Amino acid sequence: MAHQKTPYQWSARGFVAPGVILVAVLLYLPLLWTVFLSFTKYNGLGSPTWIGLDNYVEIFTDGDFVGSALNTVLWVIGTLIIPVGIGLAIALLTWNLGGGIWLRLPFLIPYALSGIGVGVVWSFILSSGGALDQALAAFGITDPPRWLLDAPLNTIVMIIASSWQGVGVNALLFTIGLQAIPKEPLEAARIDGAGGPRLFTSILWPMLRPLTAVVVGLSIVASLKTFDIVWGMTKGGPGTVSETLALTMYKETFVNSDYGLGSAIAVFLTVITLIASVLYLRQQLSPKKEM
Amino acid sequence: MISRRTIAAAAAGLLLGTLALAGCAGDSGSGEAGEVTGTLNFYTDKAAWKPDFESLNEVSGDAVDITLKTTGYSDANQYDAFIKQSFRTDKSPGLFTWHTGDSLKQLVDEGLVAETTDIWSQAVDEGWVSEDLRDSYTFDGKQYCVPMNIAYWIMFYNKAAFADNGVEVPTTWDELNTAAETLKEGGVTPYYQTSVLFTFQWFQHLVASTDPDLYAGLTTGDVKYTDPEIVDIMNVWLDEQKAGWFSDAGSTTDPAVGLKQGDYAMINFGTFFAGNLEGAGMTTDDYGMFAIPAVNDSLDTTPVAVESGPICTAENSKQRDLGLAYAEWWMSPDAQTAWNDAHGDVAFNPKATVSDPALAEIGEQIAGDGYSLYDRFFEAMPTEIVTTAIEQFGAFNANPGDPMPFLEKIQATADKYWAEQE
Repeated sequence: MAHQKTPYQWSARGFVAPGVILVAVLLYLPLLWTVFLSFTKYNGLGSPTWIGLDNYVEIFTDGDFVGSALNTVLWVIGTLIIPVGIGLAIALLTWNLGGGIWLRLPFLIPYALSGIGVGVVWSFILSSGGALDQALAAFGITDPPRWLLDAPLNTIVMIIASSWQGVGVNALLFTIGLQAIPKEPLEAARIDGAGGPRLFTSILWPMLRPLTAVVVGLSIVASLKTFDIVWGMTKGGPGTVSETLALTMYKETFVNSDYGLGSAIAVFLTVITLIASVLYLRQQLSPKKEM
Repeated sequence: MISRRTIAAAAAGLLLGTLALAGCAGDSGSGEAGEVTGTLNFYTDKAAWKPDFESLNEVSGDAVDITLKTTGYSDANQYDAFIKQSFRTDKSPGLFTWHTGDSLKQLVDEGLVAETTDIWSQAVDEGWVSEDLRDSYTFDGKQYCVPMNIAYWIMFYNKAAFADNGVEVPTTWDELNTAAETLKEGGVTPYYQTSVLFTFQWFQHLVASTDPDLYAGLTTGDVKYTDPEIVDIMNVWLDEQKAGWFSDAGSTTDPAVGLKQGDYAMINFGTFFAGNLEGAGMTTDDYGMFAIPAVNDSLDTTPVAVESGPICTAENSKQRDLGLAYAEWWMSPDAQTAWNDAHGDVAFNPKATVSDPALAEIGEQIAGDGYSLYDRFFEAMPTEIVTTAIEQFGAFNANPGDPMPFLEKIQATADKYWAEQE
């Protein structure tokens, strides 16, 4: 038998309704519309034409799309190793250190910048004849690498530029995780003689696991949707060699006005991101794995 | 039982939600159908030109009692998406800038832009615009939109770099090549190039001035990018790349600043680039312009690429009549003289006064005998092919080599596009 709704429940629904309506209209309807568009040919004018799975067939048979996907994988790996790794190192080195916040602050400031702004600044540094080339010339290096023109070097240097922006927030998150570790096991470990690498591998790293899971999860999601910094630095070029999936999606939708193909890439990217996030977080945060 | 308080809370919630959604829809706009005077909402992706447009308000206010309220977008892709979406609302613009070629055809095919046949007929009768230009605005015998401007794609050069190396303005293809060789020997890179966006102009000139029919064939799909004639032309370009005639494609130095600094001696751009050069601090004492000689010297006329950007009125706009009234005035010599004073470029209206003597001279030269106009690559080709071609020419500029892989990628997009048209 259904529960009788209490006046409290009714009034609660009234207050929740605006939020639910907004989320449904601004989030789920566009999502469903995007899924629908992915099965159509549509240039943004008139009515979409249903073409079934053609867009999906096209993205999987297009060499450029495969290149975009490989670059995206490079971004996922790169942003796991560099900003997460350096962020952890900074958090560990400044943890329990007097004035540690002042040491972390400079790393945190770039996080306040927009990705496109970071892209523009770094393109001045890395473009041919730019700041880095001029600095290298001062040391007699007159034939430097072509940072943004050769693949996969251009993707690698853009990952480094992105890391410059992302290290600070990872350091901050790891610092919060370190500060949340209870003092007792640490003291016990120290009394038992554990220090340095042993303290890290046996105590700190396992106890940081829930936070590491979140940081890595966020990093994977952020790198899968990498767009702004690449758009700001190379526009995905030369040609298409530094495109990511998100950039290919943008290009097909808004440059080529192929809304159907762009939507198919968006759906593919969403599915991949959801699968990666759910699998990773379930594996990492399952109760059985907790300390 | 549901209390009044509960009902009131639920109603308040729904009301708030509805208001929030209504807020997203925006206001209903100003202006009524049929009005031909007043304030006209004008949208453009040329945000940097906003002061130029608005400086015309005094003149247009006196002449036709219409003033522009300009909204400028600096991101062209964002702007295009905004305009396309606006047709679905009651906020579609009374006047907006757009592109000729495939982009305009898409709007016309959907019946989204107002017909301007009467305005064109009057303008042609008055001698305000050429018959040739009308073709770019004609679909099924009717005209849509009016030209905002035209620009000829020509060569700008650094006068000091030419003088220092004893180079004269070339009038034939051989002379141009000799000039490039001389400049290179003198330690000056002859030509500018980039790997982003403006990568197509050298290809367009090489093809159109080798064989105009070949260029026309590319625009209709009758010629393939992988055809031997196109490959031969790409190899001419490759030889020039190997000779070191082009600047580093990875440089992000402002092209106008680069020409001023003498990083390269010549740059192939639209006549509007004169404004960029003046912005960089150059005057016509420092830079000159010439129509690029044809590769094939047996052609009767020298082909020159022309770009024309339209201003359009949405068919379902509340300001449709106001927009068309402004468009009609825009074609007149008075309007075009005022626009030229404000903005500076060659003029599509031969009766308008071009304020810059150098631009006036080259405009008259190209409009005279000995030259023929063809549509710029950007407008002449379908959008998807343009996108791929620009990327591949950019890749070629960055890493010049065997042209076939680049051409095959462009042709793959062209094959897909033309197959969909059948």
